[in-house]
Amino acid sequence: PLKEKGRKKNLNLMQIVYGAPASSATALTNENHENSDDEDFFKPKGEHSKNLGGGLDAGHVNSEDCSKFVNYGNLKNWKEKEVCEDIRDRFTTGDWSKAALRNKNS
Amino acid sequence: MGKTTYKRLKGSQSFRQRLLLSTLSSTPIIIDEIRADDMIPGLLRHEMSLLRLFETVSDDCVVEVNETGTRLKYKPGIIMGGKNLVHNCALTRSMGYFLEPLLLLGLFGKKPLSIRLKGVTDDAKDPSVDTFRNASLHILKRFGVPSEGLDLKIEARGVAPEGGGEVLLTVPNVQTLTAVQWVEEGMVKRIRGWTFSARVSSDFEHSMRFAARGIFNNLLPDVHIFNDHKSGPHAGKSPGYGITLVAETTAGCHISADTTVSCGRTDETGEVDDEKQERKPAEDTGVEIASWLLQEIEKGGVVDSTHQGLLFILCALCQQDVSKVRVGTLSPYGVETLRNLKEFLGVTFSFRPDPDTATVILTCVGSGLVNLSRKLS
Repeated sequence: PLKEKGRKKNLNLMQIVYGAPASSATALTNENHENSDDEDFFKPKGEHSKNLGGGLDAGHVNSEDCSKFVNYGNLKNWKEKEVCEDIRDRFTTGDWSKAALRNKNS
Repeated sequence: MGKTTYKRLKGSQSFRQRLLLSTLSSTPIIIDEIRADDMIPGLLRHEMSLLRLFETVSDDCVVEVNETGTRLKYKPGIIMGGKNLVHNCALTRSMGYFLEPLLLLGLFGKKPLSIRLKGVTDDAKDPSVDTFRNASLHILKRFGVPSEGLDLKIEARGVAPEGGGEVLLTVPNVQTLTAVQWVEEGMVKRIRGWTFSARVSSDFEHSMRFAARGIFNNLLPDVHIFNDHKSGPHAGKSPGYGITLVAETTAGCHISADTTVSCGRTDETGEVDDEKQERKPAEDTGVEIASWLLQEIEKGGVVDSTHQGLLFILCALCQQDVSKVRVGTLSPYGVETLRNLKEFLGVTFSFRPDPDTATVILTCVGSGLVNLSRKLS
């Protein structure tokens, strides 16, 4: 599911990270809409409930200070060969020319 | 300068980054409403311990906490660094909690830092000390931190609740950090792992290693997991075991995953952390961490989700030049970091999603932080 979310064209990361410009009402609505779509993706930060003019400090002011990411959800069964095939080309044992394609967009 | 103006903040969130960025940017801060409505209000033991650590490493910083601990006034001093420093970390968090800000603080000190930390070396909440040694430190080197003098020695393990571990951290000083163009992930060429056991049988390590290796069988032959069974004074005061895995790529990226299994801590209300109540077999822990690692690799990016914060801070502290990095999906902590960097350093990143790989490319211009104390000396 994460992959599909990343592919979404209208995912405006600038707004999600830094909030709506100048707290304009339309932008805020827009942002809330984005968040509802990306619920599971951005959940741990806490619903992004920004007050008008509250800026960055609104929301979960007492959320826990933890860098470690542990929210992997349901783990895939990596014992299965087919599951491993999805990331085969990320390993030196995979197809090097396919792996090189990853950098064409940088 | 005259009267000090304080930046006003609220709540306990991002406590470490706020202190760190306040210190690096010489911005005094006042934080109000720290857990004001909680059953146990105010700063927690590890946060007080972190404040003392900042005092240990710097000169002339002023820390004022009100009686309930819900209000902190912090005026940063000069980062001194220095040799033979010792800090007793509060046992409520493991060393990863303290190391994250300390590493960056040390870089901008007047003298190279050499400090012995005592307490809990590993737990499930913060990155393990093996992760620091084998992933985090490599990230610093990308930004021009010399590898000479950059080290973390694990002298004794200690897990929750009693700790008893000891590590020795050395950090060299830098004048500035070098901006990076770091978007190529490369391909995973080898996986290295480290397990440890302290005050328990080394069988636990064996089970984790065996299970983790089994997961990688389909993908890569070059997998080696080292063991580190501790007993006696090097094993700390509580029983536990843990595993850290790091995938190294052809482009020099280090992707990590780790965890530790130990007895639960009791918090200040006397309740055991609920996350630690069920204990699964060591095999399952091995499988789980190996799976985490593969999911991190699948996500993509030049660092794992856990290190996004460190990566972004480094980019923002660089000389006034453009840095460009690739990460997988932005982690919540990464997002929090980006906000703090804007708040304290005025550094705004721009984002370009790469739909083909489901990764994001971030660019920013560094704030050009210069180590002033070092220039003078």
